[in-house]
Amino acid sequence: MDPPCDNDGYAPASPRTEGDEEYEMVDRNNGPTSSGLRRRKTWSAQNETDRETARLLESLPSRQLESLATTLGKDTIHFKHRRMKSFHGGSGVDPSNEIADAMTNDPQFAEKTEDEIEEMLKGMTTTLSSKRVIMHKVSSRRKRGVGRFTRFKYNVAMNWQHFKYSVAEVMYSLELWKSHLKLIEGHFGTGVTSYFLFLKWLFLINIPVFLLTLGFVVLPQVLYRWLKQDPPGYIEPSENSTYVSFTGIELLTGQGWFENTELYYGFYTNRTINLIGNHNYEMKYAYLFTCGGYYLLCLIILATSILQSYRKYYIEGSGDINFYYISKVFNGWDYGITSVEAARLKHKSLFLELSEYLAGFKGKKEKTLSAKCQLFMIRLCTNIAVLGLIGASGYLIYYLSSIIRRIEIPYLIDVLAIPLCITGVHLILPILFHLLERLECYVKPKTELYIHMIRTMTLKGVTLIVLVNFWFTELSKDSTLCWETYVGEEIYRLVIVDFIFTLLVTFLFEFMRRIVANYCIKSLSVAEFNIGRNTMDLIYSQTLCWLGTFYCPLLSCIVLIKLVIIFYVKRVSVIQNCQPSMRPWRAARSHTIFLGFLFSFFLLTTVAVACGIIFVEPSDNCGPYKGQNQTYQVVTELIDSWKDDYTWLTYTIEFISSPGFIAAVVIILGMGTYYLRLVMIGHKQMVTLLEQQLTLEGKDKNFLLKLLQDVNKKNKDKKKTSRPLTATSYLSDDTVTSPGGRTFIRQVAEASSRTGL
Amino acid sequence: MGGSQSAFTEQELDDYQTLTYLTKKEILHVYKRFFTLAPQAVNQDKNTKLGISDIQKLPELKVNPFRERICKVFSSSGDGDMTFEDFLDMMSVFSDQAPKNVKVEYAFRIYDFDEDDYISAGDLKEVIDKLTGDQKLSEEDMQQLIDNIFMEADLDDDELLSFAEFEHVISKAPDFINSFRIRL
Repeated sequence: MDPPCDNDGYAPASPRTEGDEEYEMVDRNNGPTSSGLRRRKTWSAQNETDRETARLLESLPSRQLESLATTLGKDTIHFKHRRMKSFHGGSGVDPSNEIADAMTNDPQFAEKTEDEIEEMLKGMTTTLSSKRVIMHKVSSRRKRGVGRFTRFKYNVAMNWQHFKYSVAEVMYSLELWKSHLKLIEGHFGTGVTSYFLFLKWLFLINIPVFLLTLGFVVLPQVLYRWLKQDPPGYIEPSENSTYVSFTGIELLTGQGWFENTELYYGFYTNRTINLIGNHNYEMKYAYLFTCGGYYLLCLIILATSILQSYRKYYIEGSGDINFYYISKVFNGWDYGITSVEAARLKHKSLFLELSEYLAGFKGKKEKTLSAKCQLFMIRLCTNIAVLGLIGASGYLIYYLSSIIRRIEIPYLIDVLAIPLCITGVHLILPILFHLLERLECYVKPKTELYIHMIRTMTLKGVTLIVLVNFWFTELSKDSTLCWETYVGEEIYRLVIVDFIFTLLVTFLFEFMRRIVANYCIKSLSVAEFNIGRNTMDLIYSQTLCWLGTFYCPLLSCIVLIKLVIIFYVKRVSVIQNCQPSMRPWRAARSHTIFLGFLFSFFLLTTVAVACGIIFVEPSDNCGPYKGQNQTYQVVTELIDSWKDDYTWLTYTIEFISSPGFIAAVVIILGMGTYYLRLVMIGHKQMVTLLEQQLTLEGKDKNFLLKLLQDVNKKNKDKKKTSRPLTATSYLSDDTVTSPGGRTFIRQVAEASSRTGL
Repeated sequence: MGGSQSAFTEQELDDYQTLTYLTKKEILHVYKRFFTLAPQAVNQDKNTKLGISDIQKLPELKVNPFRERICKVFSSSGDGDMTFEDFLDMMSVFSDQAPKNVKVEYAFRIYDFDEDDYISAGDLKEVIDKLTGDQKLSEEDMQQLIDNIFMEADLDDDELLSFAEFEHVISKAPDFINSFRIRL
């Protein structure tokens, strides 16, 4: 289809009406030039001819449909008011009667359930009072002629609705920390609040994990010890078994009194617990299956969250197309801000950002080739340096771990050395990374932030991998030691030291800095809350929790307490010691990325624990799996034991775990992913095509409007018979296909013929 | 809380719950906040209309640069004075449970300063002015910014943002739901 107007620099043929400015058509395909300003065309309705045009414009179907373009369902379009001005303003006319009439007279209406009607009413953009009136009118008219079955359906729907409402009420009153979050949001906006929301979400995830371990693993063991007074499974007590008393230092080291309690794996029995009558409770199966259960639960929760977040922010947010200016202007203001100071800072930050970006847009100088080469070499060197640093820290951890077991070191230091070293490395190295990033001169702060996060996460991942590898390979070979308990203690110490360091850092860097800034050195500014670093610390602590719960079942409880304390400490610190940041924080995208990190760490820990279960030999003298070659052996033995009773079950399980089946599943999943990706690419191309069509239609409309103005003018000038064919001669064929266009052309012809006579 | 509970009949609360995106407890909470704006007037008649200056005493609106537009859009008389039902309507649209399309529609109304169902260059200029607060962008920068916005969003090249175009670009911007929200 060739649009009638296809050339650039279209110049109007007839003299322009007053009030129009000079204009030129800008070719959308060439894109804008950064220099030069586009002038605008104005359709001023000052003259009579223009008034006629304006009147015709108002009757365009697209203008009437403008306010109806919602996705609530095409049915609702029938029931929305068809006027240019909204009814929400003071139009003086009460539309409720019209709308109620329109609703009841529509034949499709009778089939709608109450739910759908209510949803429609909720979404209507009129005042609440008129909605109430409409609802009463509509429901009173509806009440006739409902059969028994429909009344039953109606009752079920009503009860379900009431149930949903009461659940919502309960959730509302139970909502955790709501006032704190609101206070923080008022002062700092959505960026900092996203950190606290993430903390709350982690807290909520850990609760089911804790409850599962408590219910299925810890409680039976406690009852068993309590009721049967059986000796614990760690070391068979000799005659002079030493009773270790509780001193305070155990809270830090996790050893001593804690070793023979339910805190660690080594304490759990491998016997069958027989508390109530004939029911046997096999601790071996319980321990393993609980572990599998909560990992599966966490997997499901994480996967659904990350998918929801990705869909909301990336796909619907169309990660490719970046509407930078639109988002800055229309989403720029955070409606949750309540404090004057934060509002002032927000205004300032918006102003600075806009001016910066506009300045960059104006003069983007091209870097010379030598500058580019230099930058490339610098970045290469810094990346190698980063990898070197990470490798060095990994080796340090490994060396330290192996040294500690060999040489004599005073008591407290030898257990705390590794956690201190690891936490120290996690604190110092990111500072070095920051310095390196400053050398790298990234243009966008966003890129710098993402690269920093990836590096820090890699560092943490590498240290953890080295540690876990050491535990599984070296430590498990030591037969005098209950290595699982030792691993549990190490992780416990890591968690505690991490917690202490978080508190210290908060105290030093935020509280002390404020004191210093206010009273001593005036030039030092108050700290800003570093969202990225704090969220990554949270992710790290959650990783430790997942890693350690198999070897230290009560670790989830400890992490819960830790999260609560950190929440209150950070909340107090942020309000007292920090100021809102000038730089904007893109909470939506970052949320998806943080969830991505969390998920990848979760997968790592699952793999690590699975390796520990399947490949490493459990220790001989403690724990639920003593004496077996692999922890996983209990499962295989269980399946074998079913062979006599449930042969079909055994066969099914063997078939599912055979390599052929798994390979087939993987291939099918791969093909499905590929197919969906092709569909997505097709849709994107469709979107670009449709956008181009839209622009062309817009140009058509402009051309026809101009034409109409000229025609009207000509007919006004010549008082004699006009030639209506002037207008129709332009209508060669059905070049304009949009529904509005067709009607419009007819009206052009009619209007001109009317004025001509 | 007892006082506000008795201010409404069961039927009214039911209606409000059905027609807004808030639960009963939230509605009562909203009433409490409405009450604190002008205790005398609301005590006498709960359907009283509060003037725009009273409404703007609310902390969430006090620092908002678009507070006048918000009050005008939600007011049933069109001049900014709001009854409790208008106020409730406003809180319902700004709540978490309101769907995106409803928010987008009201956002369009708020940003349409001259109320002609289009966001024109003049409207944009006002929006940007209000956003930057005391500091003002230079003429050239403002013009450049407006042109860039039209370039991004204006699909049919008529230098006006219709609702369809506005909705098209806003639903692509992921931070909209997060920023267009007031929690009471």
